[in-house]
Amino acid sequence: MDPLILASECDPAKEIICAPTNVIELFQFDEALFSIGPMDFTRTVILTFLAMFIVIGLLYFAFRTPRVVPTKFGAAMESLVLFVRDDVAKGTIGPDGIKYAPYLLSMFLFILVANLFEVTPFINFPLTSRMAIPLFLAVLTWVIFVFVGFKKNGISYLTGIIWPKSVPVALRWLVGLIEFFSTFLLRPITLAVRLFANLVAGHLMLTLLLGSGWIFMSAIGDIGIRSIIGLPWFVFGLGIFVFELVVAVLQAYIFTLLSAVYIQTSVHPEH
Amino acid sequence: MFELFYALEEAAEESSGIDLLLPETSELIAGILAFSIIFLVVWKFALPKLSQILEARQQAITGQLTEAESAKKEAESLLDDYKEQVAGARKEANQIVDDARQSGEALRTDIVAKADAEAAEIAEKARKEASAERERAASRIRDEVAALSLDVAQKVVAGTVDEGAQRDLVARYIDDLGGMG
Repeated sequence: MDPLILASECDPAKEIICAPTNVIELFQFDEALFSIGPMDFTRTVILTFLAMFIVIGLLYFAFRTPRVVPTKFGAAMESLVLFVRDDVAKGTIGPDGIKYAPYLLSMFLFILVANLFEVTPFINFPLTSRMAIPLFLAVLTWVIFVFVGFKKNGISYLTGIIWPKSVPVALRWLVGLIEFFSTFLLRPITLAVRLFANLVAGHLMLTLLLGSGWIFMSAIGDIGIRSIIGLPWFVFGLGIFVFELVVAVLQAYIFTLLSAVYIQTSVHPEH
Repeated sequence: MFELFYALEEAAEESSGIDLLLPETSELIAGILAFSIIFLVVWKFALPKLSQILEARQQAITGQLTEAESAKKEAESLLDDYKEQVAGARKEANQIVDDARQSGEALRTDIVAKADAEAAEIAEKARKEASAERERAASRIRDEVAALSLDVAQKVVAGTVDEGAQRDLVARYIDDLGGMG
């Protein structure tokens, strides 16, 4: 898809500058394929539902029939789910963490599939490079940890943050101010932007390197030997492709783990 | 390539980059919907099902272990039984051999004793017979000697000695013989 966009903007015979007129074109697919009420079913929206079906399908086929000896796929899904349930949820939050396991697991699988779309052939587009999903999940995490904080600790959750007893009195107001902003304002923003920006950068790099490399190389008939410049870009792009595979998994893990850590600080604020 | 990036940057500045940072309503709705459905599936299906699978697996493994344990115990008790039986059989065999040896020994002793007794009896009988024979022979010899001596004496001293004196003489003679014999 993206090389096509690039190609439409590119005329290597005339000028060695290949760029879409607007970088946002790499991320926005405005034309709705169809609409239901206010919902425009753009490519991104359809991919979002595709991601949902993939996650549900993975879970369904992995756990449909209980087996004493799991299949290879079942065992892989089991270890993935148990990793989030036991290591991330219980391991970070404590025994209480099991309550948050459904949330953290849904988040992890959804983000993981959405991220992996970046390196999925024929899709080549990470859903998380659009702000909707990262922002929604970050805000949801914020709502959860603020709610849990007040529910578990009452008003002392707030006072513990803005008037931290473990800090010398002279500095308390300053640390309290920083903590207040960091907890209630910055956390959701950093959480969302970390994921979003990583995937935007990854998608940009892949699109530019693979796309422009490919366009230069395939224009060998028009521009002759100069098209060789596309080869290093393309090879470099393939390297980044593998790197982005790691980034996709890692960012899903980081988002989930940080959500767990934020919830943990609300469950046990003294730590 | 710098020109490329430059061109990109310029392009991004031209169109307000904030568009990239703000979520599109349709995408937001889709994300919320998709996540909610995933959450429901994870919450109501995946995690309970996984717990169920793990529990069933644990039970199956525990059951198999218990079964194996009981089978092992049974085998062990069976082995003990067999060992006991073998030991019993061996003991019995030893007993039988022992008994046979003892009864053989007893039989032998018995036979030997009987034979000894019989031999002793035979010897005794022979001795008695011999002694009786000798007695008989001695008495017959004595009688004959007496008769002979009487005859001789009669011939030597015919008429000089009366019959009573002769008899006394003979008797004395015989007694002397007896004392010698």
